[in-house]
Amino acid sequence: MSDLDRAIAQLRACRPIPEAEVRELCHKARELLIEEGNVVTVNAPVTICGDIHGQFHDLMELFRVGGDVPDTNYLFMGDFVDRGFYSLESFLLLLCLKVRYPDRMTLIRGNHESRQITTVYGFYDECLRKYGSANVWRYCCDVFDYLALGAIVLGASNTLPGTPAGEDVEIEVCNPDQQIMSRFLRRGRGRGAEGSPSGNGNGNGVTNGVSSTSPTPANTGPPGSGASGSSGGSVGNPAGAVLCVHGGLSPLIDNVDKIRLLDRKQEVPHEGAMCDLLWSDPDEIDGWGLSPRGAGFLFGADIVKVFNHRNDLSLIARAHQLVMEGFKEMFDNSIVTVWSAPNYCYRCGNVAALLELSEDDAGLGVLARSNGDVNRSTGGVVAGPRGVLMENDLEDQVLPGPARRYRVFTAAPQDSRGMPAKKPVADYFL
Amino acid sequence: MSAPSIPNLLSLRGTGRGRGRGRGGGTPGGTSAATGSSHDSTIQGTDTDAALSRLSAVELGYLSDPFATLFTGGQPNQPHSALPPPRRLPIINRGTYTRTTGIDLLVDSFLSSTDASRTRQILSLGAGTDTRAFRLFSSPSSHTNISYHEIDFPSIIARKQHIIQTSPSTLSSFLYQKPNPSNPLNSPPHPTSSSFSFAFESDGPSRNNNNTLHLHPLDLRSFPECPLSRFDSLSSAHPTLIISECCLCYLAPATTTRILEHLGRLFPQSAMVIYEPILPHDPFGKMMVSNLAARGIVMPTLTEYPTQQSQEERLRAEGGFTEVRSKTIDRVWEDWVSPGEKERIDGLEGGLDEVEEWKLLAGHYLIAWGWRGSGMGKGLDIDVSRGDEGGDGDDTE
Repeated sequence: MSDLDRAIAQLRACRPIPEAEVRELCHKARELLIEEGNVVTVNAPVTICGDIHGQFHDLMELFRVGGDVPDTNYLFMGDFVDRGFYSLESFLLLLCLKVRYPDRMTLIRGNHESRQITTVYGFYDECLRKYGSANVWRYCCDVFDYLALGAIVLGASNTLPGTPAGEDVEIEVCNPDQQIMSRFLRRGRGRGAEGSPSGNGNGNGVTNGVSSTSPTPANTGPPGSGASGSSGGSVGNPAGAVLCVHGGLSPLIDNVDKIRLLDRKQEVPHEGAMCDLLWSDPDEIDGWGLSPRGAGFLFGADIVKVFNHRNDLSLIARAHQLVMEGFKEMFDNSIVTVWSAPNYCYRCGNVAALLELSEDDAGLGVLARSNGDVNRSTGGVVAGPRGVLMENDLEDQVLPGPARRYRVFTAAPQDSRGMPAKKPVADYFL
Repeated sequence: MSAPSIPNLLSLRGTGRGRGRGRGGGTPGGTSAATGSSHDSTIQGTDTDAALSRLSAVELGYLSDPFATLFTGGQPNQPHSALPPPRRLPIINRGTYTRTTGIDLLVDSFLSSTDASRTRQILSLGAGTDTRAFRLFSSPSSHTNISYHEIDFPSIIARKQHIIQTSPSTLSSFLYQKPNPSNPLNSPPHPTSSSFSFAFESDGPSRNNNNTLHLHPLDLRSFPECPLSRFDSLSSAHPTLIISECCLCYLAPATTTRILEHLGRLFPQSAMVIYEPILPHDPFGKMMVSNLAARGIVMPTLTEYPTQQSQEERLRAEGGFTEVRSKTIDRVWEDWVSPGEKERIDGLEGGLDEVEEWKLLAGHYLIAWGWRGSGMGKGLDIDVSRGDEGGDGDDTE
């Protein structure tokens, strides 16, 4: 057993590794991350995860639900640390797995992977408490500076493996026991969807019945998610890819290549493109708006649709915002928020989710199928008679998203698996 | 445990918003109830929790309250001499700020809209270590003719009286104990002699402002066997503002109903402010109930008055208030905190990291207030127009 495997085993038991080992691990990780571009290319299949926030036991639950490393390919969209009690163990375990299985593990930076934020929100204090000095915090912050800012997922399939033949399932929502809670079929052009799917809002977990295979599934979306319009499926584009980023878009970034040009190896700035990518939120507005967070921006459906079209993206996956149902698709399924910290801060009562994109069998990526499938029969490719798309055409020109399977899960019992667990004390206003 | 070498990174932020902040070292936030302690001391412990939250908000610059250190073990002149106070997370600090500011606004409205040349009563139920009376008496606005009454467990009252007497520099400059032969100094009140109170006179900035503070030891659960009318210093003739800041929620609904009805009979010209959690039935609320229960804290009225509407109805039906308003803490922040003040608050710790969480937490607490009697409404009918859309937290129902 290598030192690294030993460290992984120790961290899996929620026990910190010695300072010297952290230093070496961070050094190795930096060497690895420095070679990665600002936007990492990842091939499907991949399981995409949102915020973790030091909820170590729930991270273990996530691995139980999503499959262990290296059997499952993971992409974590940042915010590994702060708020929870085990930021250190959570981040170091993910970092160990990254170093051990570099191609099976993708870590991108969240707004909490920052010196300033970690001094306010807990990670700094935790390091101090567990090591008696701030050295480990410094090593980790140095790694933060090298984390990629985003990822592009290629080669995701339009269909979900294991779904019934003849049914074009676009979205499947499962509970942790692999039971299907609901399915959403792809809809043809012009058939307005009644709402965007999202997880089950029941804080006690997943109690939905099995398999709704109706072509017009009930709207289970939370208030505010009532996006309408086509879910896509009419326009094929072979280059449709998924952009993963922690927060969202920036008014300074109109195409993905501009992200690649940023100098990312620094503390997260207080403004500018890099800050926006880690801080911004989608919102039901037109264009851009000021963010109530005081950093980043709010951006509306029009911004996402133009950006996706310009960059041949079918979907933006992002994290950053608490979603009670674990995930939330917005803007005609052009962007999704994935949240992976169940019962956030041991207080919020929310469920968590992860997003699975499967590999295209033909290895062709998100290609429009030309098999006469009714739902995609219009087959109007971008280079069609309409020529260059104008912005107001985009409503009808959303690229077909990859087939998506969301696994929704709840918080791990605190005494689970014999790991040490401090009884969480959540603060209230008393 | 401390790390003096860490630079204040907030000062690196542009626009000079950053503000120095006394770091509290590695003390984890939150206090847990000692196992095996009685329910009473657990509930009294929530007062310590609130006092520490207040101190955290004061130390970080959210609130200005020179008296916050008095009740948290630290010395007024050396707040850091003992254990460093726990630093609460920004979301809690903002909540402490908003709740305090919201109730302050209502108190101020009450005082501003009643005749300042005659006595106005404020009656604070379960006041604990609350510093509102001190802040009021020493405030530059110098309200006059306030007869401020605090009611709490005898042991809490005794401790507060002791702290007031032994805080020479902070309080004695404007507050001194009324010479009263029937209230011998340094003798703790007898737990059963409920009419035994401490009275302090205030000698504020404007002198002769005729403010008095009365501390009444009383277990509120003993209503109506121990009615408030026993306290000579309380008069039914004065306009009265009753405050329950996380107090009635710890009592049985039947008891709180009796208390509200009793107060209604006692003070015909009065207003009441209630601050309590709501919405116990959505996922956040269920988790709140279960987390608090794990600390031994039970709030029986939470299920009895679970919504904004039921809290308003309670004031109407049980308290007999003819006019009733309410706002969640989320709406208080949105509607009552000015843009400039919001910017100042957000600048203290760099803003909130998670707005959804704030809306969730702050949407589960409300301030409800009502009034009756002549002249009470003109100050307290504060806008609710923007609060009507409220319903915060019900997105999780």
